[in-house]
Amino acid sequence: MILDLAPLVCGVLLAATGAAKLFGRRTAQVAANTVLVRVLGNGHRAAFALRAVGAVELAAAAGLLAAPGAVLPGAATALLGAGFTGYLGYAKATAPQSSCGCSARDEGPIGVRSFLRAGAVLAGGAAAAFAGTAWWTRLARDPGWSLLVVAAAAAVLLALSTDLDRVWMPLRRLRLRVFGTPLPAGPGGRVPVEASVELLERSLAWQASSPIVRSGLLDSWDDGGWRVLRYAGVHRDAGGARPVNVLFALDDSATTDANPSPAVRVSVVDDRTQEVVPLDLLELSGLRKPLRMV
Amino acid sequence: MSNRQDSGGRSGLDRRRFLTTAALGGATIVGASALGGLDADAAFAAPGPSLDPAITASTFAEGRITARNGSVLEVAGSYGDRHLIQLTNATSVWKLRTTTADAIEVGDGLYARGVDMPDGTIAADALWVNIVNLFCTVRGIAKDRLHLAHGDGNHAVVGRIVPETTTASYLGGSLTPDLSRLRIGQSAQVLGAWRPADDSVDIARVTVGH
Repeated sequence: MILDLAPLVCGVLLAATGAAKLFGRRTAQVAANTVLVRVLGNGHRAAFALRAVGAVELAAAAGLLAAPGAVLPGAATALLGAGFTGYLGYAKATAPQSSCGCSARDEGPIGVRSFLRAGAVLAGGAAAAFAGTAWWTRLARDPGWSLLVVAAAAAVLLALSTDLDRVWMPLRRLRLRVFGTPLPAGPGGRVPVEASVELLERSLAWQASSPIVRSGLLDSWDDGGWRVLRYAGVHRDAGGARPVNVLFALDDSATTDANPSPAVRVSVVDDRTQEVVPLDLLELSGLRKPLRMV
Repeated sequence: MSNRQDSGGRSGLDRRRFLTTAALGGATIVGASALGGLDADAAFAAPGPSLDPAITASTFAEGRITARNGSVLEVAGSYGDRHLIQLTNATSVWKLRTTTADAIEVGDGLYARGVDMPDGTIAADALWVNIVNLFCTVRGIAKDRLHLAHGDGNHAVVGRIVPETTTASYLGGSLTPDLSRLRIGQSAQVLGAWRPADDSVDIARVTVGH
């Protein structure tokens, strides 16, 4: 029965995707994001190729629907499915970010569903090639089971399509409302290092040490209620330029919410001699603002 | 905790202890004033003027790493240009989190900020490897990932949640490891690291409610 109904399912699927590719207004736009552009040289040729594939799909669909007993349309469809699989494999290997252009509507990276769709076309074509009875005869003979099979096939194909993702959004939202969010709630207590970095980068200490600091964050650790952040820098004085570590220490529980301007301790340590470099950072940076030194 | 010193084992701990003492002995500065940072956010900021008067301008480079010879990275830029990027022992490397140069792989994309050298290389101060900054919509929430739609074509992107690393900011608040306030349908800015292997994004930070 599945063999006999395969031409119907495959034919409708190919007719839909083929028509979308051949007549779709967005075909050129979709083609521009596929790997075809790189293979064929430019976007016009890629769009033409995509439309040509659409025409072939329509022809195969017509063959499947009109002459379900013949081997040729089924074989052609299986060949098409094999071609799609090969194309997807090539695109995935060479340009994983490109869109597959499979149904000419959705865009997005090539994923498992694209491969499953191509595999379904391949399997459906192979099944159609071995169909013994025409699908309308089978449909007339036992309509109940046939409709069940067609409905199941349609459900599988819809699940493989990304066009329906929008429909599932309210379902997903409902699931989260009923079962709660699966995402971790805050363990409380520990402040992420990035939050301390954010705080530091808004501080006057950061501005004052800006002539010295050269790198992004190199290392950080917590010690006795302090969070120490280590940066690399270059200190230039009469003896020439030398590499230094710039160390900032701030309260490890401070965040911009709780304490937007915590005290920050700054030290500059020579990278080679491990000696603390005595520096007046505020003098060095040219910040003339009156400051409260603690 | 990041790990540049962890590899040293006991000596690394001693060094941290020593540096902690040094840090706590330093000048204390109170007050706040906004100034551009050098961290992950800064990768997308316009290249500012160099802070050192002896150097006229800092250089910004981006592209895919095509080869690595010791501490020199060969980078093919997106516009056909080529860069040689010299890593130094003061170069900071960001790949989802602060890490070491060992985490850099051929094939990764990078942004680099540094200084032009006379031999044509760029001595990098900071590297951001595979960094992406996406403006997208939350389309689905699962235990270990977010489903995101990005851009006009609603490109589907999977954002992976990395324990201990992924943070969120709500309504301009400070960063928190609490992700449970994310909702489907929200617009979100996602800062993270692209994973070339399966084309997903490891999320460093989600910002919602702006």
